Amino acid sequence: MNGTPDLVADVAEVLLSEDQIQAKVAELGARISADYAGRELTLVSVLKGSLPFMADLMRAITIPVQIDLMEVSSYGGTATESSGLVRILKDLSSSIDGRDVVIVEDIIDTGLTLNYLVRYLRGKNPSSLRICTLLDKPARRLVEIAIDYLGFEIPDQFVIGYGLDYGERYRNLRFVGVLRPEVYTSPE
Amino acid sequence: MTEARPRSAFAHASEAELARILDFYEVAWEYEPYTFPILYDRDGAVLESFSPDFYLPEMDLFVEITTLKQRLVRKKNRKLRRLRDLYPDLRIKLLYARDFRALLLKYGRISLADALSGAEGQATPPRRDPAPAESGPGAPTAAPVAPRRAAGGEPSRAPSARSRRSRRTRAQARARSEATSGVARLTELNA
Repeated sequence: MNGTPDLVADVAEVLLSEDQIQAKVAELGARISADYAGRELTLVSVLKGSLPFMADLMRAITIPVQIDLMEVSSYGGTATESSGLVRILKDLSSSIDGRDVVIVEDIIDTGLTLNYLVRYLRGKNPSSLRICTLLDKPARRLVEIAIDYLGFEIPDQFVIGYGLDYGERYRNLRFVGVLRPEVYTSPE
Repeated sequence: MTEARPRSAFAHASEAELARILDFYEVAWEYEPYTFPILYDRDGAVLESFSPDFYLPEMDLFVEITTLKQRLVRKKNRKLRRLRDLYPDLRIKLLYARDFRALLLKYGRISLADALSGAEGQATPPRRDPAPAESGPGAPTAAPVAPRRAAGGEPSRAPSARSRRSRRTRAQARARSEATSGVARLTELNA
């Protein structure tokens, strides 16, 4: 990727258009609003990929809701070599003790990160813990996790956009697309 | 998470990498803990057996990883079909070379894919598999490998490398079991 990259030109195929995403987000927001009416709901978003989804979903929810953000280190990141263990880079700002919690994820593939997060959050004694993800890539699953609110099941392709990145790029695309393989197979 | 041990504890570098990934996310694993007989002769002697690479006890899931060429994948697929036929309750996932590459891509380590794949990634010489009975002429003629205490279709268990989380989980389960049996003994004494 030399010079100014053309983000859209690196997309082989638009998998989910902006309209499709927004319609699904509205649907998920309505379901969550109905399910949690009269309860104390906290949405926990996992940085960075789920940020656009969280921003849209919280505005599609019509009941009072608190939000919180978490970030965990990813395997292969700078933390890998030093500790060899996943680390909480940003913890919750508020207690979730006794609250109903929905984890908001951009995508679930192996399930490894989410499995870790679920264990971690259960230790903070929420009243309930559910999972909402925009995308599910079941072909990649290593750890089975029950998804309570699912946007789209997608094929086994490398996707970017709407928060999803490759090398920290493409997060700002308004759609979800398949990245051209030559982008990640060709040398920099 | 894993005990310090030589890299050759794993037969292939891709297995060592997967163990590191599982360790990173604190998923308990055991390396080749079970051997399943999958082929017998007419006298019931085991001709062929299969040891999936990993067992994830918390998920009750076996994981087999292969980064080898398609010819060898076909052989592995055949073994897996046989395994699933004989042990239908077994949950096993096969990670192909493309799955492993996708995993490395996800974690920004795609540049390692070639070094960790195929023959390049072999930490030890390839293990000789016994010749399956249905193999045709020209197939390898290695003598059948005696499975670990395999008999009567029951899988055998062997001492295996395992993650620290796995050892901790087992120790906790053992402690709970001992505590429970202690309570049972006290109840009997008090009765």
